[in-house]
Amino acid sequence: MSSAPEEISGKMVELLPRLRRFARSLSRNQHDADDLVQSAVERAWRHLDQLKPGANLGSWMFGIMKNAWIDDRRARSRRGEVALPDDSGEHPAVTPMDANTSLWSVSEAMDKLPEEQRLAVALVLVEGLSYKEASELLEIPMGTLTSRLARGRTALAAALGDAS
Amino acid sequence: MNPDDETLMAYADGELDAAQRAEIAAALEADPALAARVAKHRALRAKVADAFAPVLSQPVPESLRTAAAGTPAVAPAAADRARGNVVQFPTRGTRAPATTWRAREWFAMAASLVLGVLIAWRAFSPVNDPTLTASNGALVAHGSLAVALDGQLASNQASDAAVKIGLTFKARDGSYCRSFALRDGGITGLACRAGGEWHIPVTASADAAGGDIRPAATSVPPAVMQAIEARIAGDALNAPDETKARDAGWK
Repeated sequence: MSSAPEEISGKMVELLPRLRRFARSLSRNQHDADDLVQSAVERAWRHLDQLKPGANLGSWMFGIMKNAWIDDRRARSRRGEVALPDDSGEHPAVTPMDANTSLWSVSEAMDKLPEEQRLAVALVLVEGLSYKEASELLEIPMGTLTSRLARGRTALAAALGDAS
Repeated sequence: MNPDDETLMAYADGELDAAQRAEIAAALEADPALAARVAKHRALRAKVADAFAPVLSQPVPESLRTAAAGTPAVAPAAADRARGNVVQFPTRGTRAPATTWRAREWFAMAASLVLGVLIAWRAFSPVNDPTLTASNGALVAHGSLAVALDGQLASNQASDAAVKIGLTFKARDGSYCRSFALRDGGITGLACRAGGEWHIPVTASADAAGGDIRPAATSVPPAVMQAIEARIAGDALNAPDETKARDAGWK
């Protein structure tokens, strides 16, 4: 039974909170994260015919988001844009909801990770995927996923003052 | 034995098979330094997960909802059920082909009650924070309920929290289950971990509760307690084990 567009539509809206969280863990602030979600859902609707029958919409969307994020980074680097240094002291994108500042500090630490480590950390630690799920989504062997995750964690722990 | 850091990490994440897990558990008992490394892995995981968890309950911008809907949104059929009493939902695992009349009818009845409960709960939730959604025949926790189930500890929660966690325990199938109560709406239910989500096999109206059955639980209606008894393997988790299970991502 293939999903009718209306059904996909409802499921896609339901996925938004998780897509936003995944995007937030890949972005410097919520504004960039929401741009990423926007471009991922637009891509998804354009390529809906590529969603295999019976495939999990969530996994498919996470994959699209990952690709959109990587493409965006490539495009920025081609345009010669560099990541803006955060020299403003107070982070402008931090809303009162982030009052405990842990979102800010963890996000800053994530931002310094190499792309592939950041994806591994985002999928496993933030989104709670199993190693198997994450490795399938990233299309890498489990051992590769494990070592990227371990290196990412080591770097994060150092950046966050050993995270205790 | 001197397990490498990746193995300790996988242990902390609940990714090892039973034999490896037993081996590492024994090594941890013998070596506090190893145990401390595992604890660090778990603490970091919890820190990162907790940092981004609030995003789940933030309002979703309307522009994103429109883009995600893709086509004009289809309004769900209105059903005028104010409150479901006791509903047992089929889980994905037990979903049998609906070949008998009884199964079909039962499924249809459950589905209509799901809708009733959904509407009742949505009525009590902020518009952008649906607490529950139906997915492939299972009721799945979302929004603030999912956030609470993911991260909130029964041993450390505000007395006026929107979601109160009751018992946390390991089910016979090895998954974690947690009972919960919603402050608004008077609904109590059980959530069990399946495929990285919290499925809700049972909910009941909390005002049907027969008082505290267990000291650690919030007031648990008999139907929820029966669902707990039917699943629980051993005892409910104590506070340190609850923390450990949370930090390991409920795996």
